[in-house]
Amino acid sequence: MSINIIVCAKQVMDPETPSSAFSVDSDIKQVTPVQGIPPVVNGFCENAVEAALQIREAAGGGTVTVLSVGNEFVMDVMKKPLSMGADSMILIQDQLCENLDALGTVNVLSAAITRAGEFDLILCGQQASDWDNAHVPLGLSETLGIPCLTEAKNIEIGDDSVTVNSSRTDGYEVFEANLPALITVNNEIGEPRYPTLRGIMQASRKTPEILSLSDLGLSEDQMAPAMALSDLYIPVSEAQCEIIEGEDDADSGRLLALKLREAKII
Amino acid sequence: MPRDHAADILDPIAKEVVNNVGVWVDKEVVPVASEFEHADEFPEPLVNGMAEMGLFAIKIPEQYGGLDLSFECYAGVCIELARGWMSLAGVLNTHVLVAWAINAYGTEEQKENYLRRMVEPEIRAALSITEPDAGSDAQAIKTQARRDGDDYLISGQKMWVTNGQRAGVYLVLTKTEMDTTPPHKGISAFLVDAGTEGFTVGRKLEKLGYKGVETTELSFENARVPALNILGGSEGSGFQHVMSALEVGRINVASRGVGVAQAAFEDSIHYAQQRTAFGKPIAQHQAQQLRLAEMATKIRAARLLTFDAARKKDAGQRTDLDAGMAKLYATEVAQEVVLEAMRIHGGVGYSNELPLERYYRDAPVMVIAEGTSDIQKLVIARNLLREYQI
Repeated sequence: MSINIIVCAKQVMDPETPSSAFSVDSDIKQVTPVQGIPPVVNGFCENAVEAALQIREAAGGGTVTVLSVGNEFVMDVMKKPLSMGADSMILIQDQLCENLDALGTVNVLSAAITRAGEFDLILCGQQASDWDNAHVPLGLSETLGIPCLTEAKNIEIGDDSVTVNSSRTDGYEVFEANLPALITVNNEIGEPRYPTLRGIMQASRKTPEILSLSDLGLSEDQMAPAMALSDLYIPVSEAQCEIIEGEDDADSGRLLALKLREAKII
Repeated sequence: MPRDHAADILDPIAKEVVNNVGVWVDKEVVPVASEFEHADEFPEPLVNGMAEMGLFAIKIPEQYGGLDLSFECYAGVCIELARGWMSLAGVLNTHVLVAWAINAYGTEEQKENYLRRMVEPEIRAALSITEPDAGSDAQAIKTQARRDGDDYLISGQKMWVTNGQRAGVYLVLTKTEMDTTPPHKGISAFLVDAGTEGFTVGRKLEKLGYKGVETTELSFENARVPALNILGGSEGSGFQHVMSALEVGRINVASRGVGVAQAAFEDSIHYAQQRTAFGKPIAQHQAQQLRLAEMATKIRAARLLTFDAARKKDAGQRTDLDAGMAKLYATEVAQEVVLEAMRIHGGVGYSNELPLERYYRDAPVMVIAEGTSDIQKLVIARNLLREYQI
């Protein structure tokens, strides 16, 4: 059995960036890049790569192609999926992709997937750690006209179908869909493997295919945002500490309860 | 705070390898290192992880199934391993060193027989030089190999053998001629398989630090080893072969010094911003700032010396001077930095709640192993006198 999988992966700011280094430019409504801290591949996207590799290994053959959209890729960062074992990578790199909203990203990804040819499965991270919107996978499946199965914790491939256990707060649901299909995953699918030294060496011999929007036949108009960001700021959090002192522990507890009731917390 | 694990590395593949090893160390090693170390327990899962990544094949040529990555890469990997736990870089050291010696000096048969099995590794390798009465003066060894037909019979005692219990092959320095002048011309190195009759692995030595990885004695009583197992196939070159291989070991130990010092520094600069005294974080006191600045400067100098030696080795240049300087400086810096880190931490640094006490116990072995600091100074001075001869 052979299966061809496309994984959508996003380059994001390192979520481990210390909060003291994080800032936004409210005038242009953008997060200010932090000097000296390189971006990373979005964590859930790495989970998607891992899931794709496991599916390919279980199938005994096939391809894993990683696809990403951005305006300035850090190649050392983006090649990680190749080092993990993905077969190839397509990067759509264009200045017009700098601040795409979900709809614009969906338009670019769907055009790139159509250009890439036949596929059996698309895997996406459930959401990206920069904006946490989780819009793109749903829009992409809608645009491509294929089923979307979300938050997969387990994926089993049949002859022409896929069965997915989807995580829910109180358990999981089991869904089955025909192939091709789009599936979103999070960390419940399994930890991404560490690239091996051999994998890194093999990846160093692979060159990602870099495309522009014009290569995909897309115009600037098709990138126009469907929604506008009206404000971007870091909320100010204030903490106040009041020590409740009573005659003894029980009295302190009683006074604390009164305070909490006054504040309508209990 | 994210840190560029691969800073100062020029080779792009090495950069990626070292960054990935750094991530692995942060996630898999740092959280468990002190627990393994305090129990003096061999870190089987961590060593398995190193093997899965391919670290044991790092310097084995591709024609024998290895990866043949650069010494620059190897140095960066060892720095990162030691940043998590110095002993892990020690597990790697003798294996890489012996593999390098086999590839550099071994016969084709020895390369085929051993290097392929050292990739996964199916067998790990240990190096055995030191004896109860021969340390820095390696030419004073007494372990003897006597010819007996197509074999040699090896007899003698060895000490301080890292990886002694778990190795599958040992590179053992012996005397095949007892009264030659100079003595090194009578020294030969043998590849001795584990399980060879007459060869036993003795007790595990208890140590101040460098725990987890076993350090053992070896005993040879007429251990029969085929003549084909003399490294390189002929007698009399063992001393030169092993001393040359020790340059690889010195790059490893220099890297370990950088890694341990880096760990102590990072812990210190984080702690100094959290700990308050006299109304402000101690990092705001000038005395601590001076201390941190000196620590960081010395670590960076040690790091650059180490990568410089590694790159010269990659270029095929003679590196006894450079590896000696790197090893001398980096390990002495490690000693200094862990003590300064202890001053910054105060009492809490002395407790076994924090890994600093482990760094403090691990540092001294590095100024002793693979040639003491005094031996490095002699190597450096002899090179300089040769270079500046009038």
